[in-house]
Amino acid sequence: MLSFFRGCWEWKSQVFHLAKIDLVKTCRGAVLGWIWLFVRPATYVFVFWLALALGLKAGSTVGDYPYIVWLTAGLIPWFFMQELISTGSDVYRRYTYLVNKIKFPLVAISAFYALSKLYIYLMSMGIFMLGCIIFGYHFSIYLIQLPFVFALMYGLFVAWSVMTSPLSAISKDFGNLIKTLSTPLFWLSGIIFNLGTIHHEWVHTVMCFNPVSFFVEAHRYAMCDNMWLWENPKMLLIFLVVFLATIIVARIVFRRLNTEVADVL
Amino acid sequence: MFSRSEDEVAIRFSHVDKTYRLFKNDRARFYSVFNKRVKHETIHANCDLSFEIKRGEAVALVGNNGAGKSTALKIITGVITPTSGTVDVNGRVSALLELSAGFDMNLTGRENIEMRGFLWGLNKKEIAELTPAVEEFAELGSYFDQPMRTYSSGMKARLGFSFASSIDPEILVVDEALSVGDKRFSKKCIARVKEIMSGTGVTVLFVTHSSSAAQEFCTRGLVLDHGRLTYDGPIKDAIEFYDKSNNM
Repeated sequence: MLSFFRGCWEWKSQVFHLAKIDLVKTCRGAVLGWIWLFVRPATYVFVFWLALALGLKAGSTVGDYPYIVWLTAGLIPWFFMQELISTGSDVYRRYTYLVNKIKFPLVAISAFYALSKLYIYLMSMGIFMLGCIIFGYHFSIYLIQLPFVFALMYGLFVAWSVMTSPLSAISKDFGNLIKTLSTPLFWLSGIIFNLGTIHHEWVHTVMCFNPVSFFVEAHRYAMCDNMWLWENPKMLLIFLVVFLATIIVARIVFRRLNTEVADVL
Repeated sequence: MFSRSEDEVAIRFSHVDKTYRLFKNDRARFYSVFNKRVKHETIHANCDLSFEIKRGEAVALVGNNGAGKSTALKIITGVITPTSGTVDVNGRVSALLELSAGFDMNLTGRENIEMRGFLWGLNKKEIAELTPAVEEFAELGSYFDQPMRTYSSGMKARLGFSFASSIDPEILVVDEALSVGDKRFSKKCIARVKEIMSGTGVTVLFVTHSSSAAQEFCTRGLVLDHGRLTYDGPIKDAIEFYDKSNNM
């Protein structure tokens, strides 16, 4: 397990640098470059808000805070997670030259790719919070658990990417499977509706096993519900089990396939 | 870091095997992840390969297509791992393998050099010193600041050569790379490789079909045939052996 992280640590300066390059690449070719990174999510937030709050009158189903804050607190982490669920599961094809032309640890490819997405996410989060403050929404002390949530989210999705990228490299079926699962995951994870309104206990238990759901909830605990994560110990514990299981499976898959990746790409 | 005697050996292959498994299709390959008994054909790219190269030696790898030269070089550079056997490489390897590879086509030449510099482990200052030298040697003019997808294949190769030969490697791996660009540039490349080789302690591995090039640069030759080492000795004899085995 340790060698897994040590590999990344030794290459940390390269990881940071490549994350920056990945960002540059994402923005390349458009005059408005950077702006697009934020315009797209902002549009989504606006459209969902329009449809849900004004159209379906869903605003009353959350707590005593503006619906748009609740919605955005779930959507911004979702954009990050969606990106890593889909493209993060196929980083070796995206950076083929780092796999089979240059000596570079495969784990570090996942690490820098997730980091580049994390930058975008953190900036979106910053803009969102700034907006909230300008419009007079007050955050509370519970906000301080967010960095912990960021770290968990980064860790989980690096593990996810390490686990799935070798599989995607070997077979495109796997990539297609994940793309297929991405949309259902969005609708089932309680990102745009409040899971709390479902009155079946088993639904909540099942949802605890869904990390997307956990992260969305965690953001809302910190920004809207004013709760600590450990006030829902079942959710936190199940998530931690899932987190550990992901790391272990990632390690098994990676050990088994990492030497094959360069041969197939 | 290494003991004294260990220090003298730049590259050591002991009983290295590299096999590629060929499947009927992608589906069979996918099943093989879960079930090791899926039918496949096994290709031995390298077969029980053992040799030792001392620091400062210039060695030519000679052999026909498919003899396993490139596989051996790729193992040395570390991008592929041997199926069995052990490989020790002491020193930093710069490879002139596929020169145009390893670049990101969406980045400019300058950005690519910066990125490769970072990957090589240089810091900002060293990269700033390196870049003008690479720029000058590659002779790309204003294309240096254009995305690499706009480059011609010769330009990519020139940039690749300039980078790989500018970073003071301890082990230089050259794979048919000296035919870069036009005659004039090719001459410049050969001069550069000679310059690197004249440095103390630089180990050079040279892969070629052409015996004249091998004789010009190297003192020792390894002849490979179907993944096996068939001859190891002074370059002249090695070439003779190779020519004879090809009935020339």
